[in-house]
Amino acid sequence: MKRLSLFTICLIILVGSWLVLRFVIGGVISVPIPASVIAMYMGLILIAVLVHISVEDSLFREFLRPIHETLVDDKRRVRRRVIAVLIPFFLLGYTYSIIAQRANPPGSPRDAHPSPPLELTYKDEVIGTMQDVVNPFRHYEKDDPEAFKAHVENGRRVYHQNCFPCHGDHLDGQGHFAPYLQPLPANFQDPGIIPNFQESFFFWRIAKGGPGLPAAGTPWDSAMPIWEDYLTKDEIWDVILFLSDYTGYQPRTFGEAH
Amino acid sequence: MKNRNVVSLLMLVFGILCVLTLAHAQNAPEASEKGKEVYENSCAHCHGTEGRGDGSAAENLLPKPRDFTRGLYKIRSTESGQLPTDQDLFDIITEGMPGSSMPGWETSLSADDRWEVVAYIKTFYDGFKESETSPRVISLEDKIPYSEESVEIGKGLYVDLGCVECHGNVGRGDGTSAPTLTDEWGFQTWPANLTQGWNYRGGADTEDIFKRFIGGLAGSPMPAFEGDSFLHFGLTAEESTRLSELENKDEMTAAEEEASEQFYEKMDAAVDVALNRAEGMELSAAEQQTYNNAMKVVYEKSWHLANYVKSLSPEKRPESAIGNNVLRSQYVQGALPAMDDAAWETLQSGYFPLVGQIVIEPRQFNPTIDSVNVKSFYNDKETAFLFTWDDRTNTVGDETDEATGKTLEDALAIQFPVKVPQGPTAPKPYFLWGGRLPVYLWHWKASAPEQVTELTAKGINNAEVQEAQGELHVQSAYTNGQYKLWVKRSLKTDDKKDLQLEPGVFVPIAFSAWDGANGDIDTKRVMTSWYTFVLEPVPSSRRFVYPPLIAILSLGLLFGLRAVVQRRNSEEVKNM
Repeated sequence: MKRLSLFTICLIILVGSWLVLRFVIGGVISVPIPASVIAMYMGLILIAVLVHISVEDSLFREFLRPIHETLVDDKRRVRRRVIAVLIPFFLLGYTYSIIAQRANPPGSPRDAHPSPPLELTYKDEVIGTMQDVVNPFRHYEKDDPEAFKAHVENGRRVYHQNCFPCHGDHLDGQGHFAPYLQPLPANFQDPGIIPNFQESFFFWRIAKGGPGLPAAGTPWDSAMPIWEDYLTKDEIWDVILFLSDYTGYQPRTFGEAH
Repeated sequence: MKNRNVVSLLMLVFGILCVLTLAHAQNAPEASEKGKEVYENSCAHCHGTEGRGDGSAAENLLPKPRDFTRGLYKIRSTESGQLPTDQDLFDIITEGMPGSSMPGWETSLSADDRWEVVAYIKTFYDGFKESETSPRVISLEDKIPYSEESVEIGKGLYVDLGCVECHGNVGRGDGTSAPTLTDEWGFQTWPANLTQGWNYRGGADTEDIFKRFIGGLAGSPMPAFEGDSFLHFGLTAEESTRLSELENKDEMTAAEEEASEQFYEKMDAAVDVALNRAEGMELSAAEQQTYNNAMKVVYEKSWHLANYVKSLSPEKRPESAIGNNVLRSQYVQGALPAMDDAAWETLQSGYFPLVGQIVIEPRQFNPTIDSVNVKSFYNDKETAFLFTWDDRTNTVGDETDEATGKTLEDALAIQFPVKVPQGPTAPKPYFLWGGRLPVYLWHWKASAPEQVTELTAKGINNAEVQEAQGELHVQSAYTNGQYKLWVKRSLKTDDKKDLQLEPGVFVPIAFSAWDGANGDIDTKRVMTSWYTFVLEPVPSSRRFVYPPLIAILSLGLLFGLRAVVQRRNSEEVKNM
């Protein structure tokens, strides 16, 4: 078999690396790499290739030889003509696609973990500081399981009369209204949701809804209602008990064990 | 010898496949504590602990959750009057019922749990225990494949069989009796909009549609195609055509009288046989033959009708207009097309699915309007929008809401911010008719179909009619269960409370819609959150200049390079 020329090898290295980055790692192994990172890797590989061919004069000449031949050698006439057609056509299509591209709307950035206020309030009544307030019915879990069950059951009722069209029967954020809301309703089955926040945080989110979100990190488009307008304080605490009871996730606490 | 091996191998494979197929149609296990537990945790909040369909969520739902104590199931693979198979119940639990609040449980309950639930819900109705034979399954064997001819025949049957009465001329569920329908429990029920296959409760495959015809939707006004609920039951297709001709005649000859009399007798006999069969009576061989002949015609016509119904809806729910799929207004030179202009057909519409407004009381948990479709053109001075949405009834303000005494009517509101937010982090007004930041609205009502009122709102209960009403051109129409609204406005106005439009600027847009017949009024409505629309800039003419320039340039470079190399080569040769 004929040995590959240095130029062909360099070309294979460059194209091959791009294919591996874009389709093998990004597609088959499915760890998509951002285009900018791919560009960076490709830049590094290109520099390495250039360094390699320019260390010695002879290597550089060897690298240029096929280009040289293609440009002037009579034996390479066919290849030359093909390239003389392909390159301009490629550039024609590429520049057209860039210029004719339609503008797309700006994405809207969203802070997944809005920071709560220092004080927890229900309507205008101050309940306490966000850090210290605990669910007043949580202690029944140990002290009085019957009473605890009653609160969970009440929470279940409240949930299914108010929350489930969006947050879903299974509390997975897939209620029958959910697909048409942006942002999507919270998924309480996601292990990153309930265990990461105190019950006071959930009380705040439920009581104040979308309009109660902090100004930082706008634009808030959340369709979450202001539930303090419709639910009593106890109902909100009960529904929080139900969320953790149904999913089996415990909200974060800063108790004695800490 | 070798051949025989191949044959026995094939038979073995075939045998395994048969076993697997049979194993697929499972039966539910005996009812257990586990089934009760899963039911109470996942189903009881809608269907009730006793299975009566009266869970805590039920009051806010329409269609109502099924009452399991009557043994009436809409979505079955079984014949009229039969109970569902276990597999039917399992499939509904797994896949849910599109267009209702019944979700699919495939990802949230294991298959074993779903089978346990099937066993448990069967305990709510004694008929399951009492029936000794398994339910009679509808045969799908003689399926008539989809074809233009079949659709055409089905279209005729759609009228002849009386589908129009409820489902309307073109299938939008807007038939004359649509508003009067109630189910077995007395709750209001709307006929399916057949142009929205994604909302068919039992799926939109031709087979699914066919099964709904033969089996009926038990408990709902949709009849099974059997006995006297099927036109000319017992007659062949030719006889049926002949009888229709005779019935349309003003006067019949004696011979014709007699012929039609014979047809009626034949029909009566067939209906009687079907009734006896439904009641479980043993049929004689002759009766069985009569029944089979009658049903053969029913099956054939049902396949044609199923093919027609299938043709009414797109295969999938359209993609909603989010992300890069935003609503783009197309530039035209000269006058903008009026409402009925064919030019609108050339545009793709933006699809905006609507949801019930459940943020502020009074709330709408049971929307009847699926979506609004929007198209738009603009020229140098003006923009025109065409909004279309399906509504089964044309309510123009002749009914009043019992609670408020206000007039019920159909309406649409299109919402924009007064000022377009600059940059992705700039806040938009609250999506429900604004708040701290105001919104600018076009409000159209069915009672004044040639008029759109401009509003400014700072909250859903805080809207004002603008004092200076701008010049909006409006056309509208209601045909076959669909509203069309056409609005034209100039891009720029003198009113500071109006939105000013400019090509290339992405503008938030949102919708509210009211179906008067569904009790929609004020905050009780269907709505969207913010979407985006843009007057799509005319593509730059640079796109015809730069690319060829670059191509020519690159060609020049190649030639230049070649010339340089050639010259250097010849110099080298000389120097040698």
